[in-house]
Amino acid sequence: MVKLYGFSGSTCTRLVALICKEKNIPYELTSVNLSKGEQKAASHTAIQPFGQVPYIDDDGFILYESRAIARYLSKKYPNQGTSLIPSDPKAEALFEQAASIETFNFSVIVGPIVGEKVFKPRRGLQPDEERVSELLASLQSKMDAYEVILSKQKYLAGDSVTIADLCHLPYGTAFYGLGGSFAEVFDSRPSLSRWWKDISSRPAWLAVKDGA
Amino acid sequence: MVLKLYGFTTSICTLRVAVVLKEKNVSFEFIPVDILKSAHKAPEFTAYQPFGQVPYIDDDGLILYESRAICRYIAAKYASQGTPLLPSDPTAIALFEQAASIEASNYDPFVSGLAWELKFTKLFGGKTDEARVKSLQGQLSAKLDAYDVILGKQKYLAGNDITLADLFHLPYGAVILDIGLDKFSSRPNVARWWKDISSRASWKTVKGGIHQGNAIHYRVLQSAL
Repeated sequence: MVKLYGFSGSTCTRLVALICKEKNIPYELTSVNLSKGEQKAASHTAIQPFGQVPYIDDDGFILYESRAIARYLSKKYPNQGTSLIPSDPKAEALFEQAASIETFNFSVIVGPIVGEKVFKPRRGLQPDEERVSELLASLQSKMDAYEVILSKQKYLAGDSVTIADLCHLPYGTAFYGLGGSFAEVFDSRPSLSRWWKDISSRPAWLAVKDGA
Repeated sequence: MVLKLYGFTTSICTLRVAVVLKEKNVSFEFIPVDILKSAHKAPEFTAYQPFGQVPYIDDDGLILYESRAICRYIAAKYASQGTPLLPSDPTAIALFEQAASIEASNYDPFVSGLAWELKFTKLFGGKTDEARVKSLQGQLSAKLDAYDVILGKQKYLAGNDITLADLFHLPYGAVILDIGLDKFSSRPNVARWWKDISSRASWKTVKGGIHQGNAIHYRVLQSAL
């Protein structure tokens, strides 16, 4: 049983839970309460030096960084559940391209928007609306590029779903849930919208989206 | 056919690919794209790279963009030549992925933000946001404290062997030092690691920019690009 140390509502913890669901990997969540700052406790930072969640303990093997955990679990169980990383060299290269697109052309913008509009209010802070506007504006051209890519193929790396698509779900769902001009970013682009509906309605995501 | 690298001579991401090509002894042809004249936003370019960013490669017809994806592709394709940069056993691979993710999430956002505010924004007519600089500096310091803990236990970010994850840090690390923000020297393990990776011959060869002397063939593209 994979031991998952994280916070039920955390984006990165839910990503790992999602991969476990896709791959039919049983896991046990041990709560690290972010609202109490437990991720900064010495007992936690001894294992995760950046004071972040999640990390896993897989039969004594400790790993952190949710995308690394996703890759590790997907490779450990290649023939179980959904196949999430290709092994053919060319397909793998296109997967790496898609994974990098997610990190540097999506999450780097959507993450801070969600930080301002969702996480700050939870801590009683005011969003920096000017920053949100700037970020949203910069997201538009990125999503135009996504539209081009997704009009030619079903998923970001090709015609099969991969981890690269699934990594969009935790922050993307929080972003889309803001409605209005935020949801419009996806809804106004037909191929992007088609892709978003596809990945966000996967049973594995529905099983964990409200808590790992 | 020799691999073609489309990029800008001193671009961070172009240099990231170049250092790996050198480390793996892979010959390449460099085709310069003048980003200061927005050549990367022209339709002839975005047909290949829809985000309008440099670099991309054409490896015998395979088009690939995103510098870290290109680096991984080269390191895997040429696994048996030059320096090994990707491990092969599952545990080491997982720890490499952890290190690669650390670079992407706990280093790049802060160094790229500082590089933008203190150097690059001016090239494109913008001005420095001092509040943002202060915030990014604070965050980067905290991250590098964690790096110092990790590098106090092992030689490189993924373990005791160098991997792509270490090399990925080079281009922005050099820019940060160049603009006078030395976050490395005060942290002994980080300093040791930085000195190690930044004195590699592959980095020294390309860090000043890609030009005729360090690509196999420097070809100025005499077209609309």
